[in-house]
Amino acid sequence: MGMALRYRQRSSRRRPARYSAMSLVRHGLSGAAWPRVWRHHELRPGYDVVIVGGGVHGLATAYYLAANHGTTNVAVLERGYLGGGGSGRNTAIIRSNYLTPEGVRFYDRSVHLYSTLAADLNFNVMFSRRGHLTLAHSDSALRTMRWRAEVNKLHGVDSEVVDPAEVAALAPRLDTSANTRYPILGGLYHPPGGIIRHDAVVWGYARAADAHGVHLHQGTEVVGIDVAGGAIRGVRTNRGSIATPVVVNCTAGWSSLVSELAGVRLPITTLPLQAAVTEPVRPFLDTVVVSGTLHVYVSQTDRGELVFGAAVDPYPSYSTRGSLEFTEGVATNVLELMPSLASLRVLRQWAGLCDMTPDYSPIMGRTPVDGFYLDVGWGTYGFKAGPVAGETMAELVATGSTPDLIAGFDLARFAEGRMVGERGAAAVGH
Amino acid sequence: MILLPCPHCGPRNTDEFSHHGEHGERPDADRVTARQWRSYLYLRRNQAGWTTELWLHGAGCGRYVLFERHTVTNEVRAAHSTGGR
Amino acid sequence: MRQMPMRLGPRPHELIDRDSRFTFTWNGASYPAYRGDTITSALAAAGVRVFSRSLKYHRRRGLLTADFNDPGCLVEVDGEPNVRGSHRLVEPGMAVRAQNAWPSLRHDVKAVNQLVGRFLPVGFYYKTFIAPRRLWPLYERVLRRFSPGGPVPSPDARGRYDQRYAHPDVVVAGGGPAGLAAAVAAAAAGAAVLLVEENHRLGGHLRWSDPLALGPLLDAVVARPNIEVLTDAVVTGRYDGNWLAILHRGAPGVVERLVKVRAAQLVVAPGLIERPYVFAGNDLPGVMLSTAARRLLNLYAVRPGRRAVVFTANADGDAAAAELVAAGVDVAKVVDARAGGDIVRAHGRGRVRAVECADGSTVDCDLLVTAAGWTAPTALLSQAGDRPTFHEGAARFVPSAQLPDGVLATGGIAGDGSLAELLAHAEAVGMVAARRAGFGTTAVPIPELPIEPHPALFRSSTHGIVDFSEDVSSKDLAAAVDEGYDSIELAKRYTTATMGPAQGRLEAVNAIAVVAAATGRGIAATGTTTARPPYVPVSLGALAGRRYQRVRHTPMHSWHERHGATPLVAGTWIRPDHYGDPAAEVLAVRNGVGIIDVTPLGKFELRGPDVVRLLEQVYVNRWAKLAVGSVRYGVMCAEDGVVLDDGVTGRLGEDRYLMTTTSTGAAAVERWLQWWLQVQRPDWQVRVTPMTDAYASINVAGPHSRALVARLTDVDLDRQSFRYLQVRTGPVAGVAGCVLWRIGFTGELSYELHVPAGYGLAVWERLLERGADLGVRPFGVEAQRILRLEKGHLIVGQDTDGLTQAHGAGLSWAVKADKDDFAGKPELGWQRDRGGYPRLVGLQPVDGTVVPTESSQIVEASPQGRRIVGRVTSSRMSPTLGRSICLGYVAPHLAAAGTRVTVRLPDGREIPATVTPQSAHVDPDGTRLHA
Repeated sequence: MGMALRYRQRSSRRRPARYSAMSLVRHGLSGAAWPRVWRHHELRPGYDVVIVGGGVHGLATAYYLAANHGTTNVAVLERGYLGGGGSGRNTAIIRSNYLTPEGVRFYDRSVHLYSTLAADLNFNVMFSRRGHLTLAHSDSALRTMRWRAEVNKLHGVDSEVVDPAEVAALAPRLDTSANTRYPILGGLYHPPGGIIRHDAVVWGYARAADAHGVHLHQGTEVVGIDVAGGAIRGVRTNRGSIATPVVVNCTAGWSSLVSELAGVRLPITTLPLQAAVTEPVRPFLDTVVVSGTLHVYVSQTDRGELVFGAAVDPYPSYSTRGSLEFTEGVATNVLELMPSLASLRVLRQWAGLCDMTPDYSPIMGRTPVDGFYLDVGWGTYGFKAGPVAGETMAELVATGSTPDLIAGFDLARFAEGRMVGERGAAAVGH
Repeated sequence: MILLPCPHCGPRNTDEFSHHGEHGERPDADRVTARQWRSYLYLRRNQAGWTTELWLHGAGCGRYVLFERHTVTNEVRAAHSTGGR
Repeated sequence: MRQMPMRLGPRPHELIDRDSRFTFTWNGASYPAYRGDTITSALAAAGVRVFSRSLKYHRRRGLLTADFNDPGCLVEVDGEPNVRGSHRLVEPGMAVRAQNAWPSLRHDVKAVNQLVGRFLPVGFYYKTFIAPRRLWPLYERVLRRFSPGGPVPSPDARGRYDQRYAHPDVVVAGGGPAGLAAAVAAAAAGAAVLLVEENHRLGGHLRWSDPLALGPLLDAVVARPNIEVLTDAVVTGRYDGNWLAILHRGAPGVVERLVKVRAAQLVVAPGLIERPYVFAGNDLPGVMLSTAARRLLNLYAVRPGRRAVVFTANADGDAAAAELVAAGVDVAKVVDARAGGDIVRAHGRGRVRAVECADGSTVDCDLLVTAAGWTAPTALLSQAGDRPTFHEGAARFVPSAQLPDGVLATGGIAGDGSLAELLAHAEAVGMVAARRAGFGTTAVPIPELPIEPHPALFRSSTHGIVDFSEDVSSKDLAAAVDEGYDSIELAKRYTTATMGPAQGRLEAVNAIAVVAAATGRGIAATGTTTARPPYVPVSLGALAGRRYQRVRHTPMHSWHERHGATPLVAGTWIRPDHYGDPAAEVLAVRNGVGIIDVTPLGKFELRGPDVVRLLEQVYVNRWAKLAVGSVRYGVMCAEDGVVLDDGVTGRLGEDRYLMTTTSTGAAAVERWLQWWLQVQRPDWQVRVTPMTDAYASINVAGPHSRALVARLTDVDLDRQSFRYLQVRTGPVAGVAGCVLWRIGFTGELSYELHVPAGYGLAVWERLLERGADLGVRPFGVEAQRILRLEKGHLIVGQDTDGLTQAHGAGLSWAVKADKDDFAGKPELGWQRDRGGYPRLVGLQPVDGTVVPTESSQIVEASPQGRRIVGRVTSSRMSPTLGRSICLGYVAPHLAAAGTRVTVRLPDGREIPATVTPQSAHVDPDGTRLHA
């Protein structure tokens, strides 16, 4: 099925200013103002594609629709500010050391896109590939690390199982002695993994999409989706109605509610995922460290703050208020791993909402409603998939055919009993 | 740390309990199609609002309990014992 | 010896003890101090003005607020980073160093940033370092050099931290006049009150503004035994259900203590925080707030400067000017904002030397005091769900009219007025708090507090620093807005304003005002960023408390330790992995007799008329015809067909059964059984009693096991009377109430003994003693793994994963599809029909000397190179057979016996292996089991 371009409008394309060291010097000398990163538009009465959700998934989808397929009459509707949902709350870990061949191929494509993103978007997203280490504290965890390493290597992704001595060399502050409650038996080391400036990814995609003429509408909430004859007709927002044949649900935390507006029920449960950051100290931790048994992960930003995360909350909710149990638990587990850090202080905690599916894999593709597409169910692994999700969803929407990379993530798999293999994995997934 | 009003033990901290999903009727496995069975297994209302859900007071009375909880504010407005002794 | 040229003579209510004088060091040099001085008050007394260099431009920074939030006064103390120098009290011998300046505070190399500042606008790093990509790691290393943080604690750093629960009815956050009055009133009504004060002493602003009024309030607090006072403590988090996190820094004997409280009522009385004014040069040392000047003068007897300009918009600014004059400071000019005056620029390099005013005059000075207005610290209320509103006339945010349940506000945060009016309000609030908590009967109305007008002073006509910690200026914020980051959230993230140590307490309102002006939307419409816990930073140590990790030991644990067992962490249990030679342990079992401690096995006693119904429901196989004295192996699946657990269940009596599960699955199975009994089948009568810890369990395995067990019991062990998969009860080693059954995980003749736990060690030792001549030896988990692998038995969780359903695991023989409803029934049927799932098979590497690493992948050639078609799940060298043996999954087309598959080892070698006809490599017909 192709796409009926019903609403031919004058293009909103423009060429954005080029960012570079030279441009910094020029602007510094002249004092001239920088052009806007994206513009505000009035809502058009209709668009060819409406994307619900202005985070990295929605913005990347919009960007690739325009850049790869020339589909520019696109609106991204964000009820808050761009990147204010999961994209602004995650701990920005990028990796592709997944368990299944499908997972590895998918996330590796994303890592590849991330590696050239700054140049592609002309916006420094600060992708710091300092390595990702998943600790194993039991032989069953070590077996799972070995499983992941072997699948990774077979797909050309650099991962290897390392022993406690190598773990100690990678992260000198870790207590790798046998005196701990859960001694470290080894780990999975993934050199290409790392961290990124998550806001910059959002802004980079937004700026580039805007340059292609995509309309970014902040403060715009979808309150209804019009379906007639089993197909999308339009959406209703707090700022007015839009006619459109295509709606892509790129929300996280709200995906069930948005899908319900189109009459589609999902196998999703929403749970908060909390994170915290400490005051800055001199950089000492180069690698991202994850412990599956202790359900905690730690990284250090270039500014020197330690960023912590853990598993999702033990019960579903839509609250991003955070809990004391989370910071207590994370502190306990971080000190189990690195006992010398007790004097570091937590500066702030926050939470995002994670849409968990039965098989720890997203839901991408068509639905029983014609023109209603899903890019949801991103659990705790959504940010790292932003680029590849955008690229593949754009391809699906523009061409009508489902890219191989996402064929296994279809909604129909649950009714047909075809779970994705990532459910086999043990570790806390980030 | 929210308090859950266990009908057997009174209000107790959440860390004494474990959450066991939205409450739903288990269909008759013999009379159901695969699609219907899997709807029971996987589909969720996942509302941002009042939800009836099953919890187990593992560190207390050991009973499964149904609470009506608001998933945005975390208020609990009702608690019911499940059947059985 | 350094002098204190800026120290004044004794002040009537000073906090310093002039009889207690000592020294400490600042950047290696010795300085004097009095007990009661903060680090910066002592240094200021000695004439020090510069305490740090700013984050980005490395500008010299001095004392601004003289309280916890003082942004330019974060220092390193005895190796501890990020210490608030204007709050921490000096101790004799303390070693204080500046952070973020190299090589020294005086000559900071990174100050070169100031020169290139115009080329490094806010967010410049997003616009550059883009190419070439390979240089990004180098750029990053440079950027990290400029990280603002203090030193990393030493690897040996350990401190004492703990936690405590308190149970007051009312918590009062803030020990200023309003907090004191509210606490006293609540306590008078009978409530237990916890009064929490951030400073080292109670009193708030009264300590320097009206110390005489403080006396009676303090006396009233002391007189109430039901008020507990915590000083140097802060209510730092208010979570759902009024669950409060209180950081107690001043607790004796610990670095920090976290106090946790479920408060019926929280009274928030934090006063008001003075807001800096934004103008060119506002970050120069010598520019400070009026409250800072008054604290220095009155609490620490320090003259903040010699010649001052005072910019005032309120009575507190006026009072500061008067106090400066009285202390002998030359107040050269007072600029009154209420009369239309304004200051435009502070001149100076490294410190203020002159102030340029809006009326055109420029006044030489070394001190500029500003009193531009107040900010309500509403963060704790916001954590409780309140959305403060902006009061245009008073130019500050105030709590909304309807606070959430359980929360009240009083004092400066709630309104203005005379001290008497504020105290009356606070007293009423205290009584209402007590009443809502169930104490006191009089319904007291809370009087209305006036909110007095105040000039709206955020930024002068020039640009200056808004966020001192993050080095973000008003120009940066305006530029960010112009560039499109035009909401408060986007502007915050782009510039990092409010993301520093003060988390907005000092700078958020100015940031909002600048963004509001740049967008033209006004402050109310611009809104605020979200206030999140913690309100003040809390150490990881206090959050973790005294860390306890649960561990479970069997009754024989001490024996294992004494006999050289290598410990294995198995979930919450510590188990013996082996005793030095697992291969020898395997051979001992095959040829003689061995004993293993299997106490962690999950055990449940099931009693009642409906037990069989329960077994039929949760197991895939049949149980109705299980006779008394018989045992059966069972498999449990979840409702999606995935293998949940396995184990044996025996019938000990008419209505009495003993179920075993895997050790790691025990807790989940218990929840599962109860779910069926309580939620789905409440009419069934079954009693489930967890027996895991009640029985010590020992498996006696090997050809001589019957002989050994016979020496300890008079239960008839004759091979015709007590067959394989049967159970008996009786005494063992004189211990009554034991259960013995014949099962076969190891594939040898074996008896599993369940002994009341208290006697476990005794029976264990008896077995070893009585079996010495039979060559009995203990064997551990590793040997057991090898033995079961030789017999091809799967381990749930190792040879199955989160997706393996019963058919794929080779357990079809157990699935009785013609049973009535059982867990997993429909899915197992559909999945079997669909097929295509991997199969668990025995694998034999062709070269028996190669032991494939577990999780090695099984591959076949494909156009892209290699396709994964399975994996090895269990793999060992078999001492019995002298060759390697495996279990693993293969795609269905490879599952036939005799198929050759390729195993790819981690080092890249690919070795051939053969699918075996059955998974048992040793004694496939089971003759030894039935001996």
